[in-house]
Amino acid sequence: MATKKEEKEFEKERKAAIKARHKKMKEDGIEKYLTPEQIKYNRRKKAIGTVWPFFRFIILFGLCFIILYPLIFMLSTAFRPNEQMNDPSIVWIPKSFTLSNISDVWKVMNFTDTVINTIILNLIASVLQVITCSLTGYGFARFKFKGKGILFAIVILMIIVPPQITTIPLYMQYAYFKPQWLAKLLTGGETTLINSGWTMYLPAMFANGIKAGLFIFIFRQFFRGLPKELEDAAYLDGCSPLYTYVKIMVPNAKQSFLTVFLFSIVWYWNDYYVSSSFFTKNDTVALMLKNLNTNLTQQLFDGQSVSVRQIIVWLEAGCLLSITPILIMYVFLQRYFIEGIERSGLAN
Amino acid sequence: MSEIEKNTSEAEVQEIVQTSEDTAVEAAAASAPAKKEKKHRLSYEKRKGLYGYGFIAIWILGTIYFFLLPLVESLIYSFNQTTVQPGGMEMKFIGWDNYVNAFRKDQDYSLALVNMLKNTALKTPLILIFAIFIAIILNQKFHGRTFARAVFFLPVIIATGPVIDIINGNMSTGGYAGGSEQFSTMFEADLVDQLLNFLGIYNISDKLTETINSLTTDIFNLVWNSGIQILLILSALQGISPASKEAAQMEGATSWEFFWKITLPHISPMILASIVYTVVDSFVDPQNEVMTIVLNKSTNWEHGYSAAMAWAYFAIIAVCLAIVCAIVNKFVYYEVD
Repeated sequence: MATKKEEKEFEKERKAAIKARHKKMKEDGIEKYLTPEQIKYNRRKKAIGTVWPFFRFIILFGLCFIILYPLIFMLSTAFRPNEQMNDPSIVWIPKSFTLSNISDVWKVMNFTDTVINTIILNLIASVLQVITCSLTGYGFARFKFKGKGILFAIVILMIIVPPQITTIPLYMQYAYFKPQWLAKLLTGGETTLINSGWTMYLPAMFANGIKAGLFIFIFRQFFRGLPKELEDAAYLDGCSPLYTYVKIMVPNAKQSFLTVFLFSIVWYWNDYYVSSSFFTKNDTVALMLKNLNTNLTQQLFDGQSVSVRQIIVWLEAGCLLSITPILIMYVFLQRYFIEGIERSGLAN
Repeated sequence: MSEIEKNTSEAEVQEIVQTSEDTAVEAAAASAPAKKEKKHRLSYEKRKGLYGYGFIAIWILGTIYFFLLPLVESLIYSFNQTTVQPGGMEMKFIGWDNYVNAFRKDQDYSLALVNMLKNTALKTPLILIFAIFIAIILNQKFHGRTFARAVFFLPVIIATGPVIDIINGNMSTGGYAGGSEQFSTMFEADLVDQLLNFLGIYNISDKLTETINSLTTDIFNLVWNSGIQILLILSALQGISPASKEAAQMEGATSWEFFWKITLPHISPMILASIVYTVVDSFVDPQNEVMTIVLNKSTNWEHGYSAAMAWAYFAIIAVCLAIVCAIVNKFVYYEVD
């Protein structure tokens, strides 16, 4: 193995050699070496090579602008005093900045408690989900058993069936959870699981959380891509499958674990459908944001209506607050999102 | 030193695996005398199968309780008239009435359904073409690639949450934040019309012009909805070996030819996956018309009726998906098996 320094030197030498050869070719007359078609091909390639980067830059710049537009708008309005929303001379940069929108929304959303509550819910559910989904994915990837086809079809069904179909029966199941002693044990005396975090933890614990089907699928694809020799060696040494999985497969699949974990956190963070069905008190950031408009009218404006253009500043401030934690995570870990997906099983 | 030892031991182990496999194959080939060994192998496989069940046991339990039971339950609801009582659901069997009502009496439902199908049929190919295009660009080497990638995957993080509703301005009480609308007005200048005029295809038919116009003003949603698809296709593009690119260049293939002959077949499995994802995603979205109707019915406590609507809807999705998959699958090229 050459070190990086050596590799750089090799590269330098290679380039110098190519340059020298090109020079010699030019001196001798290029026709000697290449056919007319090759010359034409090279010329066209060179032309495309010089023009394309400009086009690429324009396309990417425009599209990046489209994507970033709402974020820029958010930043622009979140710190703007609400009277200035009606000022036609202001497009992007307000005449003065204020933090009052943020602090208003912080109060209305009860942000400190909400964020802590959401993070706890998210972390526990995501960790449970990753563990169980990876076990299931491994089972599907490496073992042959009867009915595997049908069972895997159910996994696909889990991806396709919209959660809206199963929500109401699920609500009934949680509300009248049987056996009752278990419900009492879990919630500490209550007979219903509604409004307790267990409506999130229990499905995650049994590999049925939000988007669990997709995660099982990703894990299965990933484990299938790992070489079989890894486990065969362990089996010959007399390891049990579970031990082999923990000691050999998990360390090899770190990257895909991280990717799935991050996606799981993102989806739990953004979910408001499932949580709004099972929570009426237990507030998450997404729920708070969903109800922000109503809460604002009730708590901040005392039931008076505020002009639609002015209310934007509070709504956008709320958006900014609620995406900031996840955005910070993304900035630091974005390479795991991208590389993880590229290297994990999805590439197969 | 220890590494060498490890290597040799690994090689040995591999050899053992090899030989044991060989003997197994031989045993299978030679019938009578090696019966004992065959039996042993079978039991080993059976044991492994049992372990397989062990691995997925947690999921099986969970799926029965959290997925299959509710699924069957909601199917039962859909054939019943339901009333919510304290302590449970009271049901009266009415057969197919809920389904018949959904299509015969409820005018909004079938209209929304048709609109939904039309929209999806129009949007899916657009999102796909766009995703392939962007993925190919993002797969090239240039300065600022990491930044561009990070920006293009940003919608994956934000677009699933309620934030996008505020950005789009369709929060429950009317549209005001209206980021996307505001954005669209920036493009609503007559640029597109002028371009169509210039190309000589303006006013050929009103419908064509209208379609093109609606597509260009919808570029915001297009970009914001194709994050995952770009990710999927990019991951497939990474799998194309540089050797094949070099070989194609030696043969004098243009990038155009390279795209059609090598890139496209290579990423075709992921294209299928993206199609499925796009369709499912747009159907499942709680924001779409049909879902809104279904959810409204269920908040009005008409659970049976809403379940029937949801099931009819789901059946239609499933049929559409099956047809699309069957067609696309014919063009998909699998490298291995």
